[in-house]
Amino acid sequence: MNRNNFLPHVALALILILVAAFAGQLRKWQSQWKSRMRIIPAEEKRREPVNSIESAPYERHGLSAPEVLVKFKQGVSEDRVQQITQDLHDQVDDEIEAVPGLDVIDDLDDEAAEQVANEYRKLPEVEYAEAVFEIEADDFLPSPVTPSDPQFSAQWALFNDGSRGGTKGADISATYAWSVTTGSDKVVVAVLDSGVDYTHSDLASNIWIRPNNIAPYEDRELGTIQDFHGYNAVENSADPMDDNGHGTHCAGIIGAEGGNDIGIAGVNWKVQIMPLKFMNAGGYGTTKAAIEAINYVIDRKKAGVNVRVISASWGSTQKSRALEDVIRKAGEAGILFVAASGNASTNNDRTPHYPSSYNLPNVISVAALDRNDQLATFSNYGVKSVAIAAPGVDILSTWLGDEYEEKSGTSMATPVISGVAALIIAHEPNISVDQLRAKLLASVDPLESLKGKVVTGGRINAAKAVK
Amino acid sequence: MTKEEATEKARKDLAKRLGIHDTQITDQSVTESDFPDMALGAAASGEMSGQMISKGWKIQLKAGNQNYEYRADKNQLRLYNFKGKNHKI
Repeated sequence: MNRNNFLPHVALALILILVAAFAGQLRKWQSQWKSRMRIIPAEEKRREPVNSIESAPYERHGLSAPEVLVKFKQGVSEDRVQQITQDLHDQVDDEIEAVPGLDVIDDLDDEAAEQVANEYRKLPEVEYAEAVFEIEADDFLPSPVTPSDPQFSAQWALFNDGSRGGTKGADISATYAWSVTTGSDKVVVAVLDSGVDYTHSDLASNIWIRPNNIAPYEDRELGTIQDFHGYNAVENSADPMDDNGHGTHCAGIIGAEGGNDIGIAGVNWKVQIMPLKFMNAGGYGTTKAAIEAINYVIDRKKAGVNVRVISASWGSTQKSRALEDVIRKAGEAGILFVAASGNASTNNDRTPHYPSSYNLPNVISVAALDRNDQLATFSNYGVKSVAIAAPGVDILSTWLGDEYEEKSGTSMATPVISGVAALIIAHEPNISVDQLRAKLLASVDPLESLKGKVVTGGRINAAKAVK
Repeated sequence: MTKEEATEKARKDLAKRLGIHDTQITDQSVTESDFPDMALGAAASGEMSGQMISKGWKIQLKAGNQNYEYRADKNQLRLYNFKGKNHKI
């Protein structure tokens, strides 16, 4: 080696050694920082092997998860914290940045969590220490309530277990709602339809009866109607008995008596169904009869009956200004009007369907879903004009002759929403129509299938509605 | 009303509307169908109907070169889209 080159070579070698040493230290610092600061998601913890270099400290030691949450007093330095944890043979697993001084402590001896917490509580530097405990889902969700009604398992709209080609959970979460309320016999829902079989054994105890302190219905032109259960606008009589079945089906969805060991459960186990007949045995009726029946409901409300919802599972593409006016008046009287969006598979934004398309503050238009949370093939929709969706395919409910039948249509989705509205009222008796409507629309499970199809983009969730 | 009764009633109604003898009307087909509502998807003016899928019969008749569609179930018979309107028979 040339003597003249010796010193530059030595200098170069020293520089290279220093660079290598510095790089090594950097990696060490980085590794320490990672092990101290990284929050490892639970899924990743499960996925990675215990000896993985990226695994959490407690996993590298083959120990259980960090056991203690310790809040150090203000002013205790990080170095002091490190010293304390080292002395107790622990280590800081994570700092909770949102709460200065709060650390997640991992006990390397794997002592009982409460014992470790006690060790920290004795220290003057510690404000508090507590053992980590598991929070289970049941602490957040109410316990589901299942009724004793023998055909409940076929009521997928209320509880969908995934059978019969359905999707588990594609339902309105009724069993969770029922842990809050199963309804109230102080809430009256008018079923404006083909009447209701008020003798059906699963409905009879939930049928409205005019209280003695409310006078019979009087109309200047139609005369006095000794209304007992409701009103028949087809015959202008006091007997709203159903001779078609459609109204009885809708009534059962809203309020078949629950927990009575008979048949099915309604969305409300307890409620008062006010039967109104404006459609004949064929299942169709006139705007005139519908208006007369709504006029009756408004009168009964003003007389003191707590009728809060009209369920309207019917309609047509023909617009009636008179029908619109009387529905508006119902809203002014404090009555929500829930209406079927229609079964023509068409867009109501382009081809309106009435009464669901009336742009009134008390009207809710309802689309139908199948048991897989898909918009029913027949259901009308409208991202501007159809508010919400509910189950409406193969819905089991009460029928004439003390029977039960499965039926499909936005007719069946509508009373689901009416029923949830009644549950809300049972839970919040003083809620206004505006608040009720807003609450219903805010209580949905968003569905991909409803994006661009209904205003809320979701299916009603009864549990959210009564939260 | 049975399917046969509905078909016969439809033939007579069409003959009367067109002013022809019912022997001039031929049956094209009578098929079971699901209709979108309880007015069988053929609501007449001023009618509102239950929005429940309903089973019934679609009765296709022919007179001259023109096809006509009636819809029926056990409770009702309707003429669908005759000169732009639905009619309850």
